[in-house]
Amino acid sequence: MARLPGIRRIFRHERDGDVGAEMQFHLDARTDDLTRAGLAPVEARRVAIAEFGDRERYQAETVRIDRGYARTVRVREFLWSVWYDLGYTLRGLRRSPGFAAATLLTLALGIGANTAVWTITDALMRRPLPIEHPDELHAARRADRSDGGDYYHSYPRFRRMQATMPEPSSLAAMSAMNRMYVTAGDRLEPAVGQLVSGNWFGVLRVRAAAGRTLAPSDETTGDAAPAAVLSDGFWTRQFARDPGVVGTTVRVNGTPVRVIGVAGSGFQGLTIGQSVDLWLPLTSQWAVRYRGNMSASDADLEKPWPAQDGIHWLTLIARVAPSAAVRVSGALDRQLREELEQEMTRMDAADRAHAAREHLVLDAIPRGFSGIRDRYADPLRVLTASVGLVLVIACANLAGLLLARGAARSHELAVRVSLGARRTRIVRHVLTDSVTVALLGGALSLLVAHWGTAVLLRSASSDPRPIPLAVGTGLRVIGFTLALSVLTGLVVGGLPALRVSRAGLYDAFRGTGRVVGSRGGHRVPLGRALVAAQIALSLVLVATAGVFVRTLRNLLAIDPGYEHTQVITARLDVRAAGYDYTELPALYDRLLSRVATVPGVRSASLSLHGFAASIGTSAFAVPGRTLPPGENNAQQNYVTPEYFATVGMTLVKGRRFAPTDRVGGPRVAIVSESMARHFFGTTDVIGQRFGTGTPPELEIVGLVRDARVNALREAPPRLVYFPLAQGPQEYINSLEVRVTGRPEPVLASLRTALRNVSPTLPVREIVTLSDLLERGVSRERLVARLAGSFGVLALLLAGIGLYGVMGHSVWRRTNEMGVRLALGASPGGVRMLVLRESLAMSLAGLVLGFVLLLPIQGLTGRLVYGMSPRDPASVVIAAGILLLVTTVAAFVPAWRASRIDPVDAIRAA
Amino acid sequence: MSTLDLLQGTLDLLILKTLSWGPMHGYSVARAIRERSDGAFLIEEGALYPALHRLERQGWIESEWGLSENNRKAKFYQLTARGRAQLRAELATWKRYTDAVAGVLAPA
Repeated sequence: MARLPGIRRIFRHERDGDVGAEMQFHLDARTDDLTRAGLAPVEARRVAIAEFGDRERYQAETVRIDRGYARTVRVREFLWSVWYDLGYTLRGLRRSPGFAAATLLTLALGIGANTAVWTITDALMRRPLPIEHPDELHAARRADRSDGGDYYHSYPRFRRMQATMPEPSSLAAMSAMNRMYVTAGDRLEPAVGQLVSGNWFGVLRVRAAAGRTLAPSDETTGDAAPAAVLSDGFWTRQFARDPGVVGTTVRVNGTPVRVIGVAGSGFQGLTIGQSVDLWLPLTSQWAVRYRGNMSASDADLEKPWPAQDGIHWLTLIARVAPSAAVRVSGALDRQLREELEQEMTRMDAADRAHAAREHLVLDAIPRGFSGIRDRYADPLRVLTASVGLVLVIACANLAGLLLARGAARSHELAVRVSLGARRTRIVRHVLTDSVTVALLGGALSLLVAHWGTAVLLRSASSDPRPIPLAVGTGLRVIGFTLALSVLTGLVVGGLPALRVSRAGLYDAFRGTGRVVGSRGGHRVPLGRALVAAQIALSLVLVATAGVFVRTLRNLLAIDPGYEHTQVITARLDVRAAGYDYTELPALYDRLLSRVATVPGVRSASLSLHGFAASIGTSAFAVPGRTLPPGENNAQQNYVTPEYFATVGMTLVKGRRFAPTDRVGGPRVAIVSESMARHFFGTTDVIGQRFGTGTPPELEIVGLVRDARVNALREAPPRLVYFPLAQGPQEYINSLEVRVTGRPEPVLASLRTALRNVSPTLPVREIVTLSDLLERGVSRERLVARLAGSFGVLALLLAGIGLYGVMGHSVWRRTNEMGVRLALGASPGGVRMLVLRESLAMSLAGLVLGFVLLLPIQGLTGRLVYGMSPRDPASVVIAAGILLLVTTVAAFVPAWRASRIDPVDAIRAA
Repeated sequence: MSTLDLLQGTLDLLILKTLSWGPMHGYSVARAIRERSDGAFLIEEGALYPALHRLERQGWIESEWGLSENNRKAKFYQLTARGRAQLRAELATWKRYTDAVAGVLAPA
């Protein structure tokens, strides 16, 4: 039995003394017998002691046995009492299945939601990369003093940096991930590819699950087909884990490559939340037509990249012991400075000033890179807070229910106390009760969490596929759930336990009597305080949900500057299809003319960059104006003449592109309003000239309205459009179609049409622009939807809590109500009495809620759009909704109070 | 007559048997064993107490403080129902054991 340590010591001391007394009695009795038989008392004593043997030893042995015994008894009693309490709890649950179901469901949802959010936060924010010693991994960032800089370096620089490393083989390089098309047999599958240096796997210490990983010897520019390593995921998805695929040849973007192995399972690359399907050597860039993110200057992208110092496309990864990181970083920085000194001689003043500030730092990347980590850090923080609040509300709710049940059971508990049960025993009984229920709920919550995690990853993804996040191993998740369940159980049971332990016998017995007056003992205020707390937290959740819902509505109400309801876009990868650029104009003509014949198509166009895609920027110069570096650029796109009409962009001035804008003719451009204002300070720009060189080679022939082509949230970019006919080497990525009726029926026939033109043309997807736009607000939609459901849940719980407390109060005060009615109070007056009390609780909760809102709103700052995170309207609306819900919840008890029959009520007294 | 070492476990049997005559304190148990065996066993009386407490822990005997014949405080032990069953079982085992030994040693 759980006793205080001091008490246990006293107890043991007495037992130890017992043994001594027992033995003393033995010796005395034997001495007496011997004396009686005629021995002298001293001699008798000596004999008795001799016969007894080593008393010290026997006493110690006996005491040891007793202590063991006492321990066994304690453990047995403890287990028995737990067993008893468990039985009590389970019988109780079985007796009231409705209550049991509601309780377990509340707990399962509350705990499960927390587990799901924790699982994702854990995987995204805290989990180190699944490789050996991830703390030794560093990435070389090129930074200046003012901005974060980037991780991109050229291949020649990679080699030079490698030479400065104390251990050259510990520096590896990798490209950005890019979509590639893998043909195995006759299947064409999109895949995510990454180019890496031959020592990359060695630096990461990732071993092969089958075959081998890349080795430095695979970095050759010879004629042999490049080597490729598959990821475990891709091997499973595409090849059903067939080991026979190692050694075979597949095509990547049309080029044959040899599969040499499969990387160890669990390794998806260094970017959390994005999984790589296959890795190829850097030297295969040209062969497999790789073209991922990079920045270039003085370079020809249409020639092999590894040979060019002007193309920065590689992230340098070093394995350096943390203690040596500063030294290595210094060596690499010196190398970069040296290179920049040389380059600076060829730069103009502005660029030189910029270059002078540049330096190189090694960033520790034990958790890898992650775009979604940044993207979802804020939403996850808000989600964590929200699900935490939901659980707290659920706890308050259940504690209230337990209090009410405790009141009903106080008589029984009082009897047990008066029969000698210790107070600690009763407290443990109450806690065992709540912890058991919480653990049962926790077990159910694992299902909720499993499902919730999958739903979150799917709905947070901007792709049709869920975010490939390696979420927690079972044990971690179960451990968290277990801990949270026990904590929940202790919190839920804590207040009722405290109440029981404090309540005197008198109070407990009185609990079965009737209480006159609205403050019957101290029982009611605690229950009411819990309800007020629930209302306060609900206000926080509902108001926050309001802010997010309004943010989403603000975003959806934005005019993107183009028409999206009747436009379909097909995202193509012409480059990956393996066309030579001389074949492009003919292909583009075939595409446009074939698509035009599809029923329902009004017009069609092609563009280099589609919507919501990454668009390249270029620096431009306007004669007579100087703009600082970083301010002198604009996004550029190549489009066919019908583009503006097809996507519904309004031409404000000038003309569209015409078939006469061809190679050899004057170079023309159409610019957006932002571009015109930024570069020329006016929108009166038709006929003006600008360009990348001197004299400016481009003439502006048209001005279009600003459009948010990148993302709804982003301000319209500065845009320059060129006619595709004047960029005949450009591999387009997008085809747009305006339809006359509903777009859905056209989707399928468009796919067929594209396949007719070229069966090998990779079509990434065909979607309506509306869907693309929706995807752009997927994060906001997710946050709004989740916050909304948490708000509704909170409202529901608060309503139930208030209903429970008021119902209980009316039941306890039946007698008082009867007296009031008998003395002439009107039923309406009694109703108002109850409603007033509920209103008081609600208002107290709302005031508390306003206070709690302030810090929570700070969290949401970066997630709102078009409004203040402290949006007063959302708070007022939330408060109104809460008042409505609580009043409705209080109405049933109020009505019941007014219907009490005074005669019955008083007679029952 | 020289004394005998007590066979392992035999002390438990002797205690149980002794207590089967009724509740008694540790000293009476020792005295009863000494008298009935005519002092044949080499047994330190102190060894009785670990054995008594062990048997109590097994649940075969239970104890209670009471007053001795001389009105002194003494701890009295008595057999439980389980102890009685245990005694029967051990007696049967003992009988089989001695029979077997006797059978082997008997002159052919």
